[in-house]
Amino acid sequence: MILRRSAENLPRSVKVIRRTAPSCKVLHHPSQLAAYDCDALSFKHFTPEAVVIPENVDQLVAVVKGLAGAGIPFQPRGAGTSLSGGPVAAQGGVILHLSRFRTIEQIDKENRLAVVQPGVVLSDLEKAVKPLGLYYPPDPSTGPVCTLGGNVASNSGGVHCFRYGVTGNYVLGVETLLLDGSLVRFGGPAGGRGDWRDDWKRLFIGSEGTLGIFTRFWLRLIPRPEKVWTLRATYRDLRSASLAIQKLATHPSFPAAIEFMDPRCVELVENSSMRVGLPKGSFMILTEIDGPAVLVDRRLKSIADLLQQCGSEDVAFADVESERLALWKARKALGGLLGKITPNFLVQDAVIPKAVLGEMLEFLYQEADAAGVGVATIMHAGDGNLHPNFLFDARRPGELEKVEKIGSKIMLKVSELGGTLSGEHGIGNDKSPYIEDHFGPLASAMQMAIPNVFNPQHQLNPLKVFPQRKFVA
Amino acid sequence: MSQGPSQTLTNVSSAVDPLRACVHCGLCLEACPTYRLTGDENNSPRGRLLLWRAIDEGRLQADTYTDFYTDECVGCLACESVCPADVPYGHNLEIQRQRQVEAERAHLDWRVRAAGVAVKSPAIFNLALAPARLLRSLSLLPHPMVFKGRPALLKSTAEYAADLVAKFNPTGPKVAFLTGCLMEALFREINFATVRVLVENGVRVVVPRGQGCCGAFHEHTGMSGAAELSVTNQQVFRAADVERVVTNSAGCGFALQKALAGDPPVQDVLGFLGTLDVKRQQEREGLYKVYVDLPCHLVHGQKVDGIPDSVLDATGYRWELAPYARDCCGSGGVYNLQKPKNARHILKSKAAFLEKVPKDIVPIVATSNHVCMMQWNTAKTFIRRRFEVRHIVQLLDPASSFDST
Ligand SMILES: Cc1cc2nc3c(=O)[nH]c(=O)nc-3n(C[C@H](O)[C@H](O)[C@H](O)COP(=O)(O)OP(=O)(O)OC[C@H]3O[C@@H](n4cnc5c(N)ncnc54)[C@H](O)[C@@H]3O)c2cc1C
Ligand code: SF4
Ligand code: SF4
Repeated sequence: MILRRSAENLPRSVKVIRRTAPSCKVLHHPSQLAAYDCDALSFKHFTPEAVVIPENVDQLVAVVKGLAGAGIPFQPRGAGTSLSGGPVAAQGGVILHLSRFRTIEQIDKENRLAVVQPGVVLSDLEKAVKPLGLYYPPDPSTGPVCTLGGNVASNSGGVHCFRYGVTGNYVLGVETLLLDGSLVRFGGPAGGRGDWRDDWKRLFIGSEGTLGIFTRFWLRLIPRPEKVWTLRATYRDLRSASLAIQKLATHPSFPAAIEFMDPRCVELVENSSMRVGLPKGSFMILTEIDGPAVLVDRRLKSIADLLQQCGSEDVAFADVESERLALWKARKALGGLLGKITPNFLVQDAVIPKAVLGEMLEFLYQEADAAGVGVATIMHAGDGNLHPNFLFDARRPGELEKVEKIGSKIMLKVSELGGTLSGEHGIGNDKSPYIEDHFGPLASAMQMAIPNVFNPQHQLNPLKVFPQRKFVA
Repeated sequence: MSQGPSQTLTNVSSAVDPLRACVHCGLCLEACPTYRLTGDENNSPRGRLLLWRAIDEGRLQADTYTDFYTDECVGCLACESVCPADVPYGHNLEIQRQRQVEAERAHLDWRVRAAGVAVKSPAIFNLALAPARLLRSLSLLPHPMVFKGRPALLKSTAEYAADLVAKFNPTGPKVAFLTGCLMEALFREINFATVRVLVENGVRVVVPRGQGCCGAFHEHTGMSGAAELSVTNQQVFRAADVERVVTNSAGCGFALQKALAGDPPVQDVLGFLGTLDVKRQQEREGLYKVYVDLPCHLVHGQKVDGIPDSVLDATGYRWELAPYARDCCGSGGVYNLQKPKNARHILKSKAAFLEKVPKDIVPIVATSNHVCMMQWNTAKTFIRRRFEVRHIVQLLDPASSFDST
């Protein structure tokens, strides 16, 4: 291939990689780096010096040893669907793209666990376990593309978290590559009982690539629910929809999911090929119950009644897989659907107590209207996990600033209401400016103690989560 | 309580331009054969769109690297099918390829350049390929892409259709048939089979004279000429006084759809047969089983769901969808000439299932695009068992049975 640069002009990182891992694929020409200068937060650009795409752990270890020794920062990347500026080269250096680590090493039906490499795509795991009657519940909306490495590093959630919990609840063990090139294991197939320092894995789940680079996971699988009913109801006003959320969340059937969509999102869905027949201008609640058939079939009516009593004249439900999945597809595609009305969007995924959901929504609609910024809101409502998407055009001067200003007002309000900064997308470098204020100096310093053990100079994924995590060579 | 967001969007444009409709969500990554193959973000739909946008906005210079990634794209349009934002990826790709050609930065194989010129004059193309037709009908054209078949040497599909219609006098719907370039010049027996199946099902089929290449070739490669071909085809098919145009190659059908813009409508022959009460062939027990592969330009280009079950049932064969039927086989128009290594890798993972089909069954890979058939035929160089490659329309045609080839 002609795609080579003369050796003198090569960045230092490339020379290091060529020396320590000569067979590893390296990209370093400016045109090859452009596509790696952001994640799904596409309007913030950080160009890396190089990108490596290792084929195996040996290559990865050699690259990490080389870079660590040479004082060059680096960061792991899965599918790059993070919405928080997680897998980007905030301080330059090298991106380790783990897209080739896509082997499902084992599915142990008896012991209900899966052993996977970090680049395995979430939906590939789902496809592999489904025929065995097994279920891996965490389901971020990027399931068809996101990687388990990104999921564990972000402790990702999804629409079924309300009952099933987030990714961390399903991680039995992690194998991780540390900066000195050693591979260590925390937890494992036995769920970490014994001498594998099980609880240490908790430190790594959600660590956003700041402590080590995952090379393998042991994941917990559960039996697939026998029967599932998906229900949707539309409401004319926000108050009725909020009431439905409250009632569902405390209903004894303990729904698996409680999702919310505002009228702008409903309109987007209805104007697309994913339309499911929702009345325009309505708020939608999407919920699901699952379990043994006799049980959920009996419970269906009480949920449908509840949705109706909260003011919906339009309740529909389905147990046929294709119909159920069409509803979920419409919900999960929303992030991408926004492209039909906006070139850029900024999404905040703060979590707030459910009792103040209505108040919070009202606040953000008012703020957006006052600033003349469009907003489209979806929510993992059961968890109080907001997703207002602020719509803008990054090429228009002043737009991004406007949107960021609203973002920071919301973060203040979230802290005031007792919420948390991120329910699932992670802090990355997008929300890091709010960390110190949110936690206060003492709690922040305690949290910093952890990277100080594993990655004391912040060479691995610098400037993420805590703004002071700057790498000094 | 506030009733939600204000209903007007003041700060964003409602008509987002094609290159900027992409919000970079990444939902297209795994649909893309070249991303799955290389793991390189640049080699994904999202990556390519970003590169093109960066060039368009002057943040990046087009160079050998950006050209390389543009060339790597198979053009399968699987990314369009999964993109929630409906980013017109294919449209963007065509523009980029045209720009490459205009700026003389296109890396087109000489065979591709020659073919691009030749197909503009169907009569000469047909004449030039007569020897190849002859050799092929004698099984003396030993190229891995050339599947078995016995095309007529001299009689054209137009003449054949006129004869059959005069003889059987069908009274059903009147349609025009696009005969295609390579299909007519080298694989003419498929056109004949198409005409027979249409007439057998009572369709009044005409082959309008003067029809040109559909333009797919020029769209794939960025070579000039697609616009002129569109004009010719608009004139010819609009004058034909037919209900619709049917095509038997998904890629040509897709290009002609764009060229005619609904006047008259263009439909794949199998989809069209699905609207009729199609004549059922005899049940064929035992030996053969059909694995249906769906051409990208049918499902992702023309955006139809698939091939109607009624039509597949009517073949009389046992059939099922091939594994990953909606994924690209690597053919991509002329991609297998331009990027043979990639094309082979892509096909290898798709064709692997053939090794697992029980030995007492002969699998028939059936599809509805001759370039996909050519690509599948190359799998004979690495799949160590017997399998056949067929156009689905041939399975509806007793005269195309295996004994007759
Ligand atoms: C449209 C859209 C919808 C989304 N919906 C959801 C949702 O419902 N729920 C949700 O939780 N998230 C959601 N996300 C965010 C995102 O998809 C998730 O965070 C996902 O888990 C990221 O996976 P990834 O493979 O893309 O990781 P990346 O984006 O590549 O990386 C994410 C983080 O993980 C780190 N990382 C990646 N691989 C490794 C590794 N091997 N070792 C150590 N660290 C690693 C990176 O450094 C980075 O900090 C959504 C995003 C989009 C664009
Ligand atoms: S092309 Fe579509 S699916 Fe792919 S990143 Fe862009 S918006 Fe998302
Ligand atoms: S057309 Fe096919 S090969 Fe090209 S970017 Fe889209 S999915 Fe990938």
